[in-house]
Amino acid sequence: MIIVKDLHKKFENNHVLRGVNYHVHQGEKIVIVGPSGSGKSTFLRCLNLLETPTSGEIWFDGQLITDPKVNIDKIREHMGMVFQNFNLFNNLSIMDNITLAPVKLKLMSKEEASENALSLLARVGLKEKADAYPSQLSGGQKQRIAIVRSLAMNPRVMLFDEPTSALDPEMVGEVLDVMKGLADSGMTMVVVTHEMGFAREVGTKVLFMDEGIIMEENTPAEFFSNPQCQRLQDFLSKVL
Amino acid sequence: MQAWLEKVAKMFDMAFVSGERWKLYIKGLGVTLEIALFAAVLGLAIGTVVALMKLSTNKKGGKSIWARVANVYIDIIRGTPSVLQLLIMWFIILKSCKNGVLVAVLSFGINSGAYVAEIVRAGILAVDKGQTEAGRSLGLSKVQTMIYIVLPQAIKNVLPPIGNEFIVLLKETAIVGYVSLTDLTRAANQISSRTYEAFMPLIGAAVIYFVIIKILTILLEKLERRLRKSDNR
Repeated sequence: MIIVKDLHKKFENNHVLRGVNYHVHQGEKIVIVGPSGSGKSTFLRCLNLLETPTSGEIWFDGQLITDPKVNIDKIREHMGMVFQNFNLFNNLSIMDNITLAPVKLKLMSKEEASENALSLLARVGLKEKADAYPSQLSGGQKQRIAIVRSLAMNPRVMLFDEPTSALDPEMVGEVLDVMKGLADSGMTMVVVTHEMGFAREVGTKVLFMDEGIIMEENTPAEFFSNPQCQRLQDFLSKVL
Repeated sequence: MQAWLEKVAKMFDMAFVSGERWKLYIKGLGVTLEIALFAAVLGLAIGTVVALMKLSTNKKGGKSIWARVANVYIDIIRGTPSVLQLLIMWFIILKSCKNGVLVAVLSFGINSGAYVAEIVRAGILAVDKGQTEAGRSLGLSKVQTMIYIVLPQAIKNVLPPIGNEFIVLLKETAIVGYVSLTDLTRAANQISSRTYEAFMPLIGAAVIYFVIIKILTILLEKLERRLRKSDNR
């Protein structure tokens, strides 16, 4: 579904991605772990071109999206993204946060979008917050709403950029539960996270990134019990 | 005491009552407000457009040609006195235009636009980058993200400095006497030179400016409070 070929990204003199190759298949849940500064967030943000790659190719559903002629807005309609800092629209109610994009992009009528939003909100247990504003919610609630906002676009794939890193510890669980439910529903997911438990439990593949490349890739069981490269062994010994 | 009171009463009569002079102040105030209001609207429109121009980037992420044009405009306007801009507009650029108020509105609007542009630009930059990223990641275009998400939040940020700019603009119109328009300041000045008595007309005009600006300040504070309330922050 997503094919990445020899992806490079430089910021000024900082060579963050140094040739990433990967193939995400439909229905997979790819979990990316690695030390900070390893390029994992940059890699994820390149997938929907929030960062413009310096060189390399990204294919999505058979379309070369790194081609400058491609209308990236159309591609992004099919790729949901959840951010570390939630990024709910502060000026809009929860309902408007969720319905803004589907309605303005003319994918749904206002009524359809509202109905869809309410059923998605019910799914994450936040139906009563439809008329609230983001500032009235806890971090965990905000992040669940942010997931709903992405889902309202019926994306083909969901990208998660450290979705629990800005949360108080007691709120991490509620967000991970929503993500697990989403995984069970068959959604294709790419998740950058520090939650090793989630990686082990939900991931179909776990990637270890360091120094701008994918250093190791394996099934969760093998990844954690039998790490191959020295860097990953050091990393795991620190975080587990 | 009696004599002093009588003198004050006579001064007051000369400055405001006899010959229905109070009408001149009101007429002058009308000109002042007319110029200030339309110039403020024009300045806001120009300023918003110029701010967006200044924030636009080319394909490589550098300054766009629009940003360069905006910079030249801001540099010229901020680098020259507004009195001179008014005179240049009146005697050179719009020499054939006989409508002084229109010339003043254009001149002050173009002047104010440069300052408003910097205010609006700062207000837009103060909106968290994540808001734009979230909008774009949902498939909204640059323009849609700006209109529905960034600008509404920027307006809240810029209200206090924009209010300040309006107040400055309102007082700045006191220079339109240079192009022979009779605003409040010039009306007061004319009356003082006719009656050979400066105190009452000039202080009177100052009090009128003060009251108008006080009212404007109160209205702006109310608007700001209302916007904050919907914000729930």
